[in-house]
Amino acid sequence: MNVAMVNVPQVDRVASDKVGLRERISIRKLDFYYGEGQALKAISLPLYDRKVTAFIGPSGCGKSTLLRVLNRMYDLYPNQRAEGEVLFDGANILAPKQDLNLLRSRIGMVFQKPTPFPMTIYDNIAFGIRLYERLSKSDVDGRVEESLKRAGLWNEVKDKLQANGLSLSGGQQQRLCIARTVAVRPEVILLDEPCSALDPISTAKIEELIEELKADYTIVIVTHNMQQAARVSEFTAFMYLGELIEFGDTQKIFTTPNDSRTQDYITGRFG
Amino acid sequence: MNEHTVKSFDQELQLLDKKVAQMGGLAERLLAHAFDALERRDPKLAENTVASDRAVDQLERELQEQTILMIARRQPMANDLRHIMTVLKIAGDLERIGDLAKNIAKRALAVSGESHPKPLMTGLKHMVELALHQLKDVLDAYAELDADKALGVWRQDERIDAMYNSIFRELLTYMMEDPRNIGLCTHLLFGAKNIERVGDHTTNIAENVYYLVHGTTLTDDRPKGDDTSSTLIRKE
Repeated sequence: MNVAMVNVPQVDRVASDKVGLRERISIRKLDFYYGEGQALKAISLPLYDRKVTAFIGPSGCGKSTLLRVLNRMYDLYPNQRAEGEVLFDGANILAPKQDLNLLRSRIGMVFQKPTPFPMTIYDNIAFGIRLYERLSKSDVDGRVEESLKRAGLWNEVKDKLQANGLSLSGGQQQRLCIARTVAVRPEVILLDEPCSALDPISTAKIEELIEELKADYTIVIVTHNMQQAARVSEFTAFMYLGELIEFGDTQKIFTTPNDSRTQDYITGRFG
Repeated sequence: MNEHTVKSFDQELQLLDKKVAQMGGLAERLLAHAFDALERRDPKLAENTVASDRAVDQLERELQEQTILMIARRQPMANDLRHIMTVLKIAGDLERIGDLAKNIAKRALAVSGESHPKPLMTGLKHMVELALHQLKDVLDAYAELDADKALGVWRQDERIDAMYNSIFRELLTYMMEDPRNIGLCTHLLFGAKNIERVGDHTTNIAENVYYLVHGTTLTDDRPKGDDTSSTLIRKE
């Protein structure tokens, strides 16, 4: 049986007919449990290569849980388990034999609160690189510079690479975290409310960065800011109470959603 | 439909609808009065009608300001966004209808001293009645969010076009019969054209109501009956 077809009614498959779209990650019939409680119910969803997909929904709907499944962050906690399939380039990342270090180098994550390590700006980035690769000092230097440039932070920090990462402003810290993620050359970047602690200017910089990064990476962003989802993403998934209610073209979701629950949520009529 | 969590948003949307209804009512009255003034050769009524167009313009400005503010403040999505954009566009069409009615009233002033050929006025009266009926229906369709009703209005416009065609030909005949009729007939011809244009703005509103309800635009070509643009005047 073709598992992906099971949930067809809730997923707008028209999108996948578009030319040039490649499913990078296929989530199929995914259930997730925190102990007894079921947090995700039979989620099936494609994540397209070099596109930005936004997960939206009210608090507790499961969007962050879904994001955490994608790089098996939940493995750090007992009693949490996922069932179903998450195919990344065809291989199920939920399989027990999956190498988690390798997975997390291919699927990077940036969190809601900036989490720089209490070390220099340089080491914040070099640390991750050294975990996965043996590079010469000059190669690491090059990679640090390249990553900081990609994250749009280079010009602000190039003269103080030895300063503590924690001395940066909130927005700079978040871009440092993005640089750290980019440095290990992942294929997918997961952003969990990356702007919720930032001012509008820093937010704009991150959004500009997402715009640039999507040329090379598959990006998934969880956000509570509806306008942000509408601005930065090509595809949007609306979740509610652990279920995927609607998935489709962002443009369509924010102008003429199919499901009345999606409409109620994005127009501020919920509950 | 469910209410917004922020109650003042609902109140603002209701206020928009109230003003659209008010503006629509005013535009209807303006057109009816303009035609009455023409038919009864009543310069006083014509002057009053010209003056009351200002109220329609004022309402359009208010609606424009309010919708822009709401977009800035609420950043509306989905049906709210369509609602607000539709109001903005309907306000524009109603303002134009007001202008066209005002223009008829001005022509009523210009020809108030002349006697009007009865059969012509009967034709024009039917035309304006149909236009008013269409306008009323489309405003109801908006108030009731009734896309089918809007679609009905959209299809009916062809009848106004057909009436305009026949009046156009009739007026040509009158002018050819006696050049002394040309002054009056030209004013009446523009009056008829104005009513035909009111019909077009009414169908614009119908299209917007349809979009508001369904989120998709009417893509079919609207049936059109006005072929006067390609009619050649030839003396036989």
